Amino acid sequence: MSDEYIVLKEISKKFAGGVVALDKVTISIRTGEVLALLGENGAGKSTLVKILYGLYSADEGSIYINGRRVDISNPSEAIRHGIVMVSQHPQLIDALSVAENLALGLRTFSVLTSIKRISNFILEKSREFGVRVDPWEKAWRLTYTQKQLVEMLRAMLLNARVILLDEALTYLPLEEKKKFYKFIKEFAEKGGSAVIITHKIPEALHVADRIAILRRGKLVGIIEGGRARIEDVRKMMFGESAVEITYERLPASQPRERSVIETQDLWVTGDFGEDAVRGVNLRVREGEVVGIAGIVGNGQRELTQALIGLRKVSRGRIFIGEIDVTNRGVHVVREMGVGYIPDSPLAFGISIDNSMAENIAALYQRKSMLIDWSKIREMASSLIEAYKIMIPDANSLIKVLSGGNIMKAVVSKEINYCKIALIAHNPTRALDEVSAAMVRKSIKERAINDGVAVLMVSEDLDEIYQVSDSIYVMNSGKLYGPFPPDEAERSKVEHLMVI
Amino acid sequence: MRFIVVRRTRSHPYIRPLVIVLSLLTGMMLVAILLTLIGAHPLATIVAIAYSFITPQVVKDMVLLTMLGCALLISFKGALWNVGAEGQLYTAIIPIVWITLYVAPWSASSPPYQSILVTLASITAAAIFGAMWGAIAGVLRAYVGIDEVPVTLIMNYIAYYLVNLLILGPFRGRYVYGYIRTDDLPDAYKLNINVVMQRTGNAFIDGFLEFIRVIVYYAYWVLAAILVALLTWIVFNHTSIGLKIKILGSNPEFLKAVGVDVRRTIVMALTLSGLLVGIASATYYLGDLTRLTYPIQAQTAGYGYLAILVAWLSMLELQLIPISAYIVSSLRNAGRNMQIFGLGGLESTLILLGSILLTYSTLRFLTEYEVRVVK
Repeated sequence: MSDEYIVLKEISKKFAGGVVALDKVTISIRTGEVLALLGENGAGKSTLVKILYGLYSADEGSIYINGRRVDISNPSEAIRHGIVMVSQHPQLIDALSVAENLALGLRTFSVLTSIKRISNFILEKSREFGVRVDPWEKAWRLTYTQKQLVEMLRAMLLNARVILLDEALTYLPLEEKKKFYKFIKEFAEKGGSAVIITHKIPEALHVADRIAILRRGKLVGIIEGGRARIEDVRKMMFGESAVEITYERLPASQPRERSVIETQDLWVTGDFGEDAVRGVNLRVREGEVVGIAGIVGNGQRELTQALIGLRKVSRGRIFIGEIDVTNRGVHVVREMGVGYIPDSPLAFGISIDNSMAENIAALYQRKSMLIDWSKIREMASSLIEAYKIMIPDANSLIKVLSGGNIMKAVVSKEINYCKIALIAHNPTRALDEVSAAMVRKSIKERAINDGVAVLMVSEDLDEIYQVSDSIYVMNSGKLYGPFPPDEAERSKVEHLMVI
Repeated sequence: MRFIVVRRTRSHPYIRPLVIVLSLLTGMMLVAILLTLIGAHPLATIVAIAYSFITPQVVKDMVLLTMLGCALLISFKGALWNVGAEGQLYTAIIPIVWITLYVAPWSASSPPYQSILVTLASITAAAIFGAMWGAIAGVLRAYVGIDEVPVTLIMNYIAYYLVNLLILGPFRGRYVYGYIRTDDLPDAYKLNINVVMQRTGNAFIDGFLEFIRVIVYYAYWVLAAILVALLTWIVFNHTSIGLKIKILGSNPEFLKAVGVDVRRTIVMALTLSGLLVGIASATYYLGDLTRLTYPIQAQTAGYGYLAILVAWLSMLELQLIPISAYIVSSLRNAGRNMQIFGLGGLESTLILLGSILLTYSTLRFLTEYEVRVVK
């Protein structure tokens, strides 16, 4: 293995509310290696790479590049040192073309350079790097995979020596993900380094040269990738809780005949005037979990938003509890006891500038004139305990939490809220394996025990197979199915996702 | 050794008032230096400013600005920038003039309880008018999508000219010796308590007694300010509308997703804000202004605009509203005193206000960040 290129020494970071994100973490990134950073939610993985990328500043500790101490106080400085980050959410501006988006971050061009010249340069470079991107395509037309490809291309154009992938590959389909990993391996072989944050341990074992494990802000160990065993890694990440991880199919529900969520020839318009949902017919019965598989950007977001009432339906009908709720607004649907875990949790799922108690009160006591805070705090405390949310107390602001813990706050209040139905879009996004297993179990229990009709949209096919009683595939706004999970071949479902 | 700026891990308990005091001191020093450059004695400048903080004149402005600051806080918390308190203040006076001079004018034969009924009716009507004036901006923002800042600002001028029209027309006084103004508010309807204090000759004791006299004079205002502050506290800490307004300011998308009518919340926030301005307006008119003089835009003390400063200075914290109201009142007072002390004209006042606001804008980052020295 080659030399240490970057050393993060004794890095500590606390957030408002006294949450310790990192506690004297020392870690190195070697030239030509792929380093995986693993850890449960709130372990400090994202904080560490954000400090290296200049998005956060460390309270204590220092960063060395090639043995020389450096100050990285913003991303521009990080990029100057050859460090580029690709996050889970593509940072492209939808209204601009790929070339225009990429030109924004490049210093190679002056303000007077024609976009045609930039586009040709990008085309040439993308061929050189083996990435197929059309520089003239508008960003909104790109699939999620293509957007992440553009982000990778941006990193290459910025002459990255170290690429930080903060869950950047989490939502890519398996086949696409393999291509990305191959690309990253080749990048490392050419002398680059990559730091990957993921919750998928098998993938980390497959791709990483070394695996660093963080737990509650401390580095608990570094294992050579080739020698690591998944059980050992899980034990280091979760301690005794590792036994709770399961991908076994959960017990099937016994759906009743009554239809709770039903759509008839549903058409929904997307953000750019296109037909995002095209003639969808769907039925979720009482006590049933229906899973919709599909690659992000195929109309799932528009479908779930239309069902909850956040997006207008252009054609067709929606029935909740056999009542026509088409275009009647969110309040009507919510009043009926429908929980909603949105695709964009930070926008529609929670208000991070408010406390956990306030977020719960906004949902549960929006109709009351006065708020019963003792009841709300009691509920918040029980959710915090049940879902093991790492938060000082119910009055703490959500913004002090890690991404995974924010997600747990969103998921817990909605699973608890639903009475007749739950519309869940990627309910385990950003959750570690233990938390994800717990959330899937809770969802299934609500369906089996309380007869809640669950519509679960997920890009994670393992999750769909584990929880669903019935599977659909969504592609280009159309719905294929239903398929019984015991009979539906995985290869067939994957094929439908990409055709 | 180097300096790094890091976000505070936990809020310092006294940092907000500390930043305000520090800004004041730095701003005063800056003004003293600037005025020294043009020939004024620095000590005289500091004395003139410091004196303004302890004179009884600040009481009136402070109490009124506390009420108006609370009113604006209601909308500001929801990221609704109501800059129309000035217009709401004068609109709310219209029904008071009508009630006190035309509906139920006081006469020698009026029963004693009439003054109580008229006062209560005036306050209620002022609150309703203030609320309605605020609601117009709310409806335009919520249902037509017009930004509330230009709307509330323009509505200040509409209010001025509406009041002018009334003074020139139906409200023009009969006993005004040729002036263009309304008749005086009858004494029976005035909300103030006049007490005469015997002078002792001791400057310290007399100063203290004068403070007492002013506080007693504005006792109704103090009560109204406590009521308004209490109402604001209840709204934000115990009501669902208060919570909705707070979330409206931080994440309206979330509010929509939980099934709250965001448009109604916007209207409610601006209506409530206007309602509290109306209550403040009633106390102001019944306790101090007592008549409207043409043209109103040249006569106004600009409390509606100063209230924006009060709310901003408080960092949208209710408990800091009285402190920032006190500071703004004192600075207003300081401007007058500096002119009396011969330390320049209006420009000195503006330099003083500007310097303190500049240092405040710079130092307020300390509330969320701290500067550390790293070796």
